[in-house]
Amino acid sequence: MRLHMQNLFIALFLLIPLSVSDVAAESLLAGEEIARRINARNEGEVVSRFITMAMTDRSGTERVRETKSLRKYFGKEKRTIIFYLSPSNIKDTAFLTYDYPEADRDDDQWLYLPAARKVRRISASDRGDYFLGTDFTYEDIRKETKVGIADYSWKTLGEETIDGHRCFLVEEIPVNEKTAQELGYSKVQSWIDAEIWMVRQAKYWDVAGNPLKTLQVREITLIQDIWTAHQLSVENHKTGHKTVFTFKDVNYGQSVKDEMFTEDALRRGY
Amino acid sequence: MASSYATCGILALAGLLIAASALAESTPDETKSSQLSNHRFSAVLESEAAYGITRDRADKMEMVLDPQWEYRWSEDTRITGIARLYTEGFDHLEPGRLSQGEVSPNSRRLQLGDRTDIELREFYLRTQLWGMHLTLGKQQVVWGKTDGLKLLDVVNPQNFREFILDNFDDSRIPLWTLNAELPIGGGNLQFLWIPDRTYHRLPQAGATFAFSSPLIVPQAPPGVAVNLRPLERPNNIVMDSDIGMRFSRFWHGWDLTVNYLYHYADFPVFFQSVFLAPGGATVTVNPRYERNHLIGGSVSNAFGNLTVRGEAIYNTDRFVLTMNRRDGDGVIKSGEIAYVLGLDWSGIQDTLVSFQLFQSWLLHPADGIVRDTLDTTSTILLRRHFLNETLETEVLWLQSVNQGDGLIRPKISYELRDNLKIWTGFDLFYGDRNGLFGQFDRNDRLVIGMEMGL
Repeated sequence: MRLHMQNLFIALFLLIPLSVSDVAAESLLAGEEIARRINARNEGEVVSRFITMAMTDRSGTERVRETKSLRKYFGKEKRTIIFYLSPSNIKDTAFLTYDYPEADRDDDQWLYLPAARKVRRISASDRGDYFLGTDFTYEDIRKETKVGIADYSWKTLGEETIDGHRCFLVEEIPVNEKTAQELGYSKVQSWIDAEIWMVRQAKYWDVAGNPLKTLQVREITLIQDIWTAHQLSVENHKTGHKTVFTFKDVNYGQSVKDEMFTEDALRRGY
Repeated sequence: MASSYATCGILALAGLLIAASALAESTPDETKSSQLSNHRFSAVLESEAAYGITRDRADKMEMVLDPQWEYRWSEDTRITGIARLYTEGFDHLEPGRLSQGEVSPNSRRLQLGDRTDIELREFYLRTQLWGMHLTLGKQQVVWGKTDGLKLLDVVNPQNFREFILDNFDDSRIPLWTLNAELPIGGGNLQFLWIPDRTYHRLPQAGATFAFSSPLIVPQAPPGVAVNLRPLERPNNIVMDSDIGMRFSRFWHGWDLTVNYLYHYADFPVFFQSVFLAPGGATVTVNPRYERNHLIGGSVSNAFGNLTVRGEAIYNTDRFVLTMNRRDGDGVIKSGEIAYVLGLDWSGIQDTLVSFQLFQSWLLHPADGIVRDTLDTTSTILLRRHFLNETLETEVLWLQSVNQGDGLIRPKISYELRDNLKIWTGFDLFYGDRNGLFGQFDRNDRLVIGMEMGL
């Protein structure tokens, strides 16, 4: 009888870790599901805001750009236009991008340079190039707080707390070498808020596997029932350069004309 | 007097449109008022100096101040004014007092001496009315997207005091224009009426970049006197206005435009007549402007790392100098077809490699003309950014395939602060002095400059 009881206790002891693991596994969503929820989050059909772009190099020299940004959905296609307002020597510089929902369709983008008063078509394969001197890539500008599901394979690593918020830690590996080269990353780790499905923090590794940059998303509040990030900051670990985007006067209710998202609107300016 | 009436008419029309637009529009958006006041003032100060390497002298010491004022009446209506104070230390580019004969009286610069002038660069009302975007006033209208040379970008004339070396934004001469743009058919239809009869500013004799190539100016044989008559500029506001139309559309990934311009070509035509007298021959040159119909279009698209750009035009009346002494006026008229193909490759991060091929065919060539029936020019632009685009390096190379002459422009610029940029570079001409570029072979120069936003 004593031997039998001992065997029972041993069996129960061995089962405890397994049970806990099973319970833990059930609460971790699959990476792809998390990505879908990020992209399913409502970011408004239209948004108008001012963005202050502050860029600081390793020596502390700061450059500040004041811009006006408009974004609008045309069906599932997302169009974004950014007008530079100051300083005056780059005033009227403007950028326009069309982000198509099809994974295999190259996005279209244009850049207006006031020194020549001409609109230049920009290759969409420049996704990993940095946007006009910032530490955000063109892809980052297009996606904002959304993600490119088809570009990565997704794996949930666990849960962590960021600024008091429960977050899923997800690892993203580009699906192939070509995509990695286009995006400029070999790996991304993102901390996604488990309640509002927005990235709060992300770390990036370059194509050689070295730590590249860290993104912080702060001052997330509800505006017109839409979760809105008011500050995005990126620190580039290779160059020591830092970029902070601050969003002000965010308005999801403003009517914005379709013609504001055309090449002609780039030339007319804001 | 007629020009003044035109200006007053445009301004009066602007006033009426402001009133009509104000009545039609809603209250200005409150969210903007917290960020932008209705008035916006800014200025750009630019200074550039050049040292002539071959001439071994300072060629230029230029200071330009461009204050800009903007009043935003509403979301859709604003008035913009840009003035310019220009001063140059050595008076080599536009020596002496300017005649400004090619400029309409209400577009002329006010000269404060031989080296300093002020002008109203741009002054326009921009509004929306009946679904149209209206821009009324003195402005630049830019067609075309080429680097270094122009094909479709012919709406505004150009100041050639530095040949083609100036930024096009600075060398382009704004015109008093009615510019209406109407969204239609998924695209944008633009209509231009240009009563301002202002044409290219060509450097006068003795200027650093005065033209000497036979491709541009008549060449008198040795011993023959030349009598250059004053420019005959069109002066009828109605009959001599330019009009233009452009339809642009983004279609299945393609940027497409169709363009039409009925205009006086901005280069004067140097009609010549020879008078034989016992004391010798005299050539009288009568520069006049001639009408032309320009019909053209442009395309651009991006394919992976490669962006393709193209422009093509047909000019009905192109005037070319001829050396055929049997020709009565030294000029032949021909139709012209011209195109440019541009390829931009960005396969390397922060790097642009751009190639352009320009070709021009004369449809009705004649014996003795100063240029080839088929004229070809190629350009290559290499550009790379460093340090988060604070440092930019580039080389632009233009070469005439026919003449073998060309221009190489290496440049490096650095953004010291968010509103301060400095640069240095070279302008290096080479080739036969009869060529478009080779005529300036002695004008090689080192350039340094600074631009500050105020």
